[in-house]
Amino acid sequence: MGHVSPVGVGIVSVRDIQRQIAMVLPNARSAGAEGTLELASQHKDEPRIKTATLIEGSLMRAFHVGESDAAHFVAFLDGKQRSHVVSYLGSKTLSVGVAAAVVRERCESRLCTWKSAVCEWRVYAPRILIQDSEWTALSLLYGSSLVDTSADVKTGSAHPFALRDATVKRVNEHRDELERQLAEQWCTTQLQPLFLDGGIRSSRIVAESPWAVGVIKSHNTLYVEGGAFETVMGLGVRERSSVFRIESRTRPAVASWYLRMRNAMNRDPMWGLVRVEVALLAGPKMSRRADDVSRWILAEASPLALPDGRWDKMVYGVRDCEEYLRALGL
Amino acid sequence: MPTPLGRVVATERRPNTPHEFHFWTALVSPVGIGTIVRVDGSVANDGVITHVYGIVTEGFSWTDLASPLHDVMGHDANPGGSGAPTNRAEIRLYTAAVLRHIPEEPLQPVPMGEVHLADENDISIALRMDGYQASAGIPVGVYRAGGTDSPIYLDSDFLLGPEAAHLNISGVSGLATKTSAVEWLLQSIFTHFPAEKGSVAALCFNVKGPDLCFLDLPGEIGEADEKLYEQCGVTPKPFEHVQYYAPYKSDGVALNTLRSNEALLANVTPLTWGLREVLQYAEVLLNKDDIDAKADALIDFIKENVLDKRFSDPLLERQHQVTSFADLDAWFKDVLRGLEKKDDQSWRTHHVATIRKVRNRLSNISLRCKGLVADDGATSDLPFGSFQDRTVYVLDVAGLEEDAQDLIFARVVTKLREHLEKRDLGVQHVIVFVDELNKYAPGDGPDTYVRKMLLDIAERGRYLGLVLFAAQQFRSQVHRRVVGNSGTAIYGRMDGDELATPGYAVLSPAIKTKLATLEKGQLMVRHPHFTQPIFVRFPRPAVMRGRDGVSKYPSAQAPTLLSAVLRTLRQADPSLTIGWLEDVTALASDDEILRARNDMVRTRPTDVRKAFASHFRAAIAPRSATRTEVTAPLPSAPADDPYGF
Repeated sequence: MGHVSPVGVGIVSVRDIQRQIAMVLPNARSAGAEGTLELASQHKDEPRIKTATLIEGSLMRAFHVGESDAAHFVAFLDGKQRSHVVSYLGSKTLSVGVAAAVVRERCESRLCTWKSAVCEWRVYAPRILIQDSEWTALSLLYGSSLVDTSADVKTGSAHPFALRDATVKRVNEHRDELERQLAEQWCTTQLQPLFLDGGIRSSRIVAESPWAVGVIKSHNTLYVEGGAFETVMGLGVRERSSVFRIESRTRPAVASWYLRMRNAMNRDPMWGLVRVEVALLAGPKMSRRADDVSRWILAEASPLALPDGRWDKMVYGVRDCEEYLRALGL
Repeated sequence: MPTPLGRVVATERRPNTPHEFHFWTALVSPVGIGTIVRVDGSVANDGVITHVYGIVTEGFSWTDLASPLHDVMGHDANPGGSGAPTNRAEIRLYTAAVLRHIPEEPLQPVPMGEVHLADENDISIALRMDGYQASAGIPVGVYRAGGTDSPIYLDSDFLLGPEAAHLNISGVSGLATKTSAVEWLLQSIFTHFPAEKGSVAALCFNVKGPDLCFLDLPGEIGEADEKLYEQCGVTPKPFEHVQYYAPYKSDGVALNTLRSNEALLANVTPLTWGLREVLQYAEVLLNKDDIDAKADALIDFIKENVLDKRFSDPLLERQHQVTSFADLDAWFKDVLRGLEKKDDQSWRTHHVATIRKVRNRLSNISLRCKGLVADDGATSDLPFGSFQDRTVYVLDVAGLEEDAQDLIFARVVTKLREHLEKRDLGVQHVIVFVDELNKYAPGDGPDTYVRKMLLDIAERGRYLGLVLFAAQQFRSQVHRRVVGNSGTAIYGRMDGDELATPGYAVLSPAIKTKLATLEKGQLMVRHPHFTQPIFVRFPRPAVMRGRDGVSKYPSAQAPTLLSAVLRTLRQADPSLTIGWLEDVTALASDDEILRARNDMVRTRPTDVRKAFASHFRAAIAPRSATRTEVTAPLPSAPADDPYGF
C-alpha cells in the first residue's frame, strides 16, 4: 500500500480523474501537465461605465473620512478557483475545476478559519460537442458534478478558446456560489462585520445584511462618468466619494462609494482606489455609515498585503484567505 | 489521547531523513531547544505504527513577509507606529535530531505524523534507558520541558566501566558547574551504584582553592534542589566518609591546606614521602635536560644498589644505609670525597660530573617539594590496600608547587593502578577527579609524565576500574585521546570562542547558543546510550561550598612548632598537654621534634606519650649547687716568725 498524494489541484487528483475517465471512455486521451485554464483564458470583463444614482447630495463630492478607527471587521471572506484540462475526446477538452471559499476570523489579532473552508471540484465538458454515449458515461460517473460548458455555444463547432473561456466562467460561477453560501451563513448566524472580497449583490441576504461589507478592487465597471469620474479619480488618501445606489433588475440594490486607501501621488489614479458596497440605509444614516465603514477599511491597511501585486487595494485579511486556500492546493 | 503539539512536515528542499525531521507547532507551545518529542506515524508499516523519538536541535520562525522592506513600508518607517489589527501569519518550525526509532528496523525517514511532548516513559525509551535504568542507572539530573520532569540515568557500566568509562566536564570557570557537577554525581554514584557491581571510592585532587575542602559538611540547598534530589532518589546530605590528605607547608609545621581549622582536623592526615617514594618517580621532577642516559643510569644504580641497603665500597670512608635525603646526601659527599682523594674522574663507570649533577638535582627535590618530601625518610601516605567503599579521599595539593603536584599525581595514580591490578586496593573502582585538565593534559606542549599517566588512565583504566573524572575550561585544548576516551561528557556554560572550535561542529547553532547561555545548575550530557546530547538540571551539592567553608572555618593561624606537633599528637591521644610536650622536647632541636612527630604519624603507636618521649634524651632534673662547708684553716705562722717551730 503506497501513499496517495493528490497531484494537481488541491483536493482532487488530476491523475485519479484521468484514470476514471479512461475507464469509462477508452478513447479519451489524458492531458499532460499543462497550466491552468485561468492563466490561458482570454475571458475578461469588458471595461464599461454604468450609471448610478447619487443618494448623498446631488453632486459627486469627496469627503475626508477622518482618522482610522479601531479594527471593526471580525472576519474576511474570499474565494479561489483553479481549472485544468484532464483529458481529450478527439479535439474536445474535458476539464476539472476546483473552487473554494473561506472565512478567516480574527481571534486575538491572528486569523483562523471560521467553521471550515468549502472546497468542491467539478468536471466540465461541452455537451453538444461530444457523443451522447460519452456524456451518459460521464454523467453516470460524476452525476451532478458534471457541468455542461456548451450552454453558450451556438453551433456544433465552437472555437476551442471559447470552450475554454466557458469552462473558466463556469468555475468562476461555482466559486461565486461557494462564497455566497459562506457569506449567507455568516450574515444569518454572526452579528458582526464581515469583509468580503468583491461585491455583495449576488445574494439578497448578504446585500441586505448590515454586517456585510463588500470591497471591490477591480474597476472594469465604473459607476461614475464625466465630472464625477474626475472627482473620484482625484480622491485623496482617506477620502471617499459621495454614496450612490447601484441597482439592476436581477440583483438587489446596494449603496456604494469609492474610497482612496493609499496616496496615489505620481501613480495611476486608480492606485489604492476601492469601491465599497453595503446595504442601503435611509437618509443621513447612510453618510455616517459610509464614513464609519471607510474608517474600518482604512484600519485594515496595515499590515500590507505585500508581496501580492494588488497590495495597494488588498487588505491583509483577504490575502490571508488567499494564502489559506493556496495552502489547500489552489 | 493527549493533544498533539505539532505536526511533522517535509518539503523537497527540507526533507526528513532517518536521523532528522522537521515539525511545526502553534505559536504558543512548550517546545524549545533540547525538548524531547515523540512522533506517531500516521501510516502503519507492515501493520506497525512507527514511533520516532527526537530532540529539538534547531528552531526557525518566519512570517509571510517577502522582504523586510515590506514591513518598513507597512509601518511608514516608524517602528513604534504599528497598531495593525492583524498579526501576520507566522510559523514556528523546529528541526529535531532522531534519538530512536521504534521499531528500529527498517530504518526509514521519519514519517509524517503528529508530534507529542515526550512523557517520562517516552524519555526512557528515547534515551534507551529502559535497558538499564532499573538495574544500573545513575541519575545525572532531571530533564525538564513542558511540564515533563524526568530523571536522566547514566549506565554505570558505561560510566565506571567496563563497557566504557570516564567522564569529561567542560565549562567556563566560576559558574559552579564543573566541581558542583562532580560533587553531585559522586553523591549519586555512591547512592545508586549497585552493590553487586562492586565497591567504589573517589580520589579527588583539590588543585585550587577550597572547593573540595568541606565535602563532609552540610551546605544550604533550596526547595527546588530538594525536589531534584527526591526525583533522583538521592538524600541531600554531605558525604559521610571523607578523608583529607595534605602535605606540610615548607616549614614542616603546619599543614598546607585551607582545611586547617582545628575543628576540622580529625580527618585530615599529613601527606609526607621519603626518599624511597620520591626516587621511584624522579623522572616526574627531572626534565629531559636533567636526565640524560648517563644520569638515568646513575639514578637506577642508586635505586638498585644504594637505597634501603647497606652499601660499602673501597672508595667510601664508611658503610652507608640510605633511607632519607639526608643519608643520600651523605653518601654523595662520601663518593665525591673519595674521588677527589684518588684524583679520579669516574667511579663504577659513572663520571664525576654526572655524579655531581645527579646529586644536585636529587638534593633539589627535597627543597622544591619541601613539606611533601621529608628529609628524614618519614612517610605518611594514602591507605593503599585499605580504601573504603563509598569514601571520598581528597588530596589537597592546591598550595603546592607545580613539581610537587606532578609528583603527587604521578605516584598516587601509579600506586592506584598497581593495587587495582593486584585487586588489593580495598575497592574495585576508584574515581580519580582531576580539575584543570588544560594544564595537566594539554593537547600541545611537552609530553610530560603526568600527561602520559592521564592518557594511560583514559585508555586502559576502565579494565582496572580506574576511572577518570576530568574537568577543564577548554575541551578543545585537552589532549584528544583523553577527551576521546571519555564515554560520558558533560558541558556547562561554554565560552563562545571555545564553541567556535571544530570539536563542536556537530552541534547546531541553536544548541551552541543554548550552551553559551546555560544557567547555573544546567548541563548538557553526552552518553554512549544517548544518540544526541541531552540537557538536564542537577541539584546544588548538599555540601558546604568552599567559600562558605573558608569563612565559617577560617584557616588556623600559623602555629608554633610545639602547638602544631601537639595538634597532630592529640589526634591519637587527646589527653596530651602543651606542658608535657614542652618538658619532653626541652632539650631537642626543631628537626628532632619534627622527626619524632613524623614517626608518630607514620607508625601510629598505641601509646603516643611513651613512643614520642622515647625519641628524646631524658632531661635531668636541675640541681642547685651547694657550697661545701669548709673549716677555716688556722693562719700559718710567718716564715720569719721568731717564735715559730
